[in-house]
Amino acid sequence: MLEESTSISRRDFFRKTASVSAVAAASIIAPSTVLGSDLDDKNIIHHTKWGTTLGDECNFNPYGLPSKYEHNVVRRTSALMSSAGDMHAAISMTPLHELEGIIVPNGLHFTRTHNGVAHINPNEFRLMIHGLVEKSIVLTLDQLKRYPSETRIHFLECPSNGAAEWKGPQFGSLQFVRGMMSCTEWTGVRLKTILDELGLKPEAKWMLAEGSDGSEMSRTLPIEKVLDDVMIVYAMNGEALRDEQGYPVRLLAPGWEANLCVKWLKRLEFGDKPWYAKEETSKYTALTASGKAIQHFYANETNSVITSPCPEYPWTDLKVGDLVEIEGLAWSGHGTIKGVDISFDGGKNWVEANLKGLVLPKAWTRFSYMYRYEGKPLLLQSRSYDDSDNVQPTVNQEKKVVGVEGVYHRNAIHTWAVDAKGKVTNVQVRS
Amino acid sequence: MFKLDHKSITNGIKAIATSALLVSVSIAAPATVGEYEIKNKTAIDGGVTYKRANGNYAAYKYNEQSTKGVNFGREATANEIKAWDVDALPDGTGLPEGEGSVELGDELYEAQCASCHGEFGAGGNGYPQLTGGNQDKDENGIVITLKNQRVYGSTDAPKRTVGTYWPVATTLFTYIRDAMPYAHPKSLTNSETYAITAYLLANNGIEIDGVEMDEEYVLNKEKLMKVTLPNRDGFYPNIDGPNAQEDIRAFFADRAKNIGSGTRCMTDCKDPGGKDGKTEASVVKIKYEMSDVVPPYSTVRDLPPVVENKSVSKAETLYNESCKLCHATDSMGAPAVGDTDAWADVMEKGFAEVVHNAIQGMGGMPPKGGNMDLTNTEIKQIVEFMVDSNKKH
Repeated sequence: MLEESTSISRRDFFRKTASVSAVAAASIIAPSTVLGSDLDDKNIIHHTKWGTTLGDECNFNPYGLPSKYEHNVVRRTSALMSSAGDMHAAISMTPLHELEGIIVPNGLHFTRTHNGVAHINPNEFRLMIHGLVEKSIVLTLDQLKRYPSETRIHFLECPSNGAAEWKGPQFGSLQFVRGMMSCTEWTGVRLKTILDELGLKPEAKWMLAEGSDGSEMSRTLPIEKVLDDVMIVYAMNGEALRDEQGYPVRLLAPGWEANLCVKWLKRLEFGDKPWYAKEETSKYTALTASGKAIQHFYANETNSVITSPCPEYPWTDLKVGDLVEIEGLAWSGHGTIKGVDISFDGGKNWVEANLKGLVLPKAWTRFSYMYRYEGKPLLLQSRSYDDSDNVQPTVNQEKKVVGVEGVYHRNAIHTWAVDAKGKVTNVQVRS
Repeated sequence: MFKLDHKSITNGIKAIATSALLVSVSIAAPATVGEYEIKNKTAIDGGVTYKRANGNYAAYKYNEQSTKGVNFGREATANEIKAWDVDALPDGTGLPEGEGSVELGDELYEAQCASCHGEFGAGGNGYPQLTGGNQDKDENGIVITLKNQRVYGSTDAPKRTVGTYWPVATTLFTYIRDAMPYAHPKSLTNSETYAITAYLLANNGIEIDGVEMDEEYVLNKEKLMKVTLPNRDGFYPNIDGPNAQEDIRAFFADRAKNIGSGTRCMTDCKDPGGKDGKTEASVVKIKYEMSDVVPPYSTVRDLPPVVENKSVSKAETLYNESCKLCHATDSMGAPAVGDTDAWADVMEKGFAEVVHNAIQGMGGMPPKGGNMDLTNTEIKQIVEFMVDSNKKH
């Protein structure tokens, strides 16, 4: 080879190179439309429309939008999640089956409203902090943003997440089985930073947080939580809160019922007694089989769900012998996820999955397990545990203590049935 | 069947070790949160408290510099506090002056509440039921029907009405005044709110100071303070009194007993929640799948259907804001937009009369649909839109 090429004269070399280039150029201008064989993919052999035309101007969408092809990646709701189909007091579910990592895009954050989505003029927004403090204050949005900010990644979960399934499975999708939750990077002011300046009186034991929407949503929080990690947040994932999430300001009580994280925040009052607001008495109390109800049920317990496979994205395309990743989400309002176990036989035997990505307190945590697909029916489960000694209970363990009428705080181990063809359905394992 | 292979155990341990490095967990007593000392090992919710020290907080860094003296905003005026601080506590602190009779409450309820909450608060329209449910108690003082569990064929749900479930009556007053009527919150005066509260308490069979609430009964602050609802003691843990927060802490510290928690068995496990702790598990499948979701399920990636660029008129916007709630369907007894027959009946009276009725109120419909901010001209435009919409259908 080497000898042959060195024997080519300079003139020959240029002549040959030029003819090769001409052939290459011809194929660009007039691509072959004939596929060589059935194995050839026309998406490779042919030029694409987007590769042969000028695209949009760079700032065609001054606020970027998802690809048009992603139009089915949306929140969904159901008449069951509302009053008689009235969607002003309702809930819409995050499409967990379409999400990656631990951050939910702002447009897909689950939404719960009690009197519709309020639209607040930020120039007219005021936040009042008063009651058992040395100095009562009023803040505008700009003044609130002058306080030093902190940024934290936390999940928000409606304590009704999974509530439709106390008495048995009802929904055939991951989105409706566990979609009343999202995870976000929140930015705002730690409430303690402001309270240090206002001077909390020693008899202040409780805080009322009140929203300014039509429902005047309000809840009472104990002072210990307020001084620990509660924040007043105005940004999510780097931008202003969305209207559906309480624009311009909401409360964030990390790990606790999302209902306590009052949206469209208007007023914080400190007192020596709890307020018994409507959403902490007639609702958001968990009636147990004893006939009494658990009140001030703060933290969302340790929980997990397998997100791949799921009914929306089953294993119907797999061949026996394929090595495939089982993936899921784990979270705990009590602290940090320590680990997740996976069962393939409905809870008789378990293996340890691996955590991956960031492992943060009161945040979604991804888990992963590599599985050799056998084409056999499976009862696929995940069971999380956290750093405050919580282990997810079985359906029966939970029911035994609280019954089936509690509505809120259901965190029993979830089961997907995978059939021999790889189809995934929602089932419950009971004794 | 599935043995733990060496690799997964090692990885598991690594993951735990990593998280232990990242977060400095503090569960040793006593921990300090703000100026408050937590005497027990766990936080009030039963969870972990992460220490903020030396610029580290769990996996996060924070700015250690002092924030003392950061002072934005201004002092609230007495009038501003008075305007917003209208909540009431269970002991009646904060309740306003005013009074209203059961009879007036009946009228107001029929006009502004019954379309959603049903006649006498009995529900039935999909919105919360406010009255009804048996209040009888067992020997331990528990409302018997609240023990109903819909398992093994039982279909009687416990009723969470004011009379059977709600703990305190001040909640009813403040919620009605601040959040009701649903479509036009904060439109009721304090006296009207006392009247509706009286009507609902009367229909729940509540007695005040041993006195039955008849039509003439007039409710005010002093009387509402004396109400003890039947299920006042139906909630736990205790949240009242000086020891409340320690009671809550103790409750959530014992989660296995109080809220149910799991066990980490790895091989040959029997469901510890099973009837005898040994029973083989059975699989329960979906009986009736709830599949009427909006928008419908799809994971297809294609171009979205082309939507016509429909402009919405001002009248339609006003209709959506103030009228649609009742007029979208006939479930509230109002003529539904699109129901040609129903609207043919309505229009027999003539357009002017229909507009007049919309302004004055009629049957279950309050004047201007309850939104007194609407001008008469706007009402006319809305009626035109509603009539016009029927022609299109």
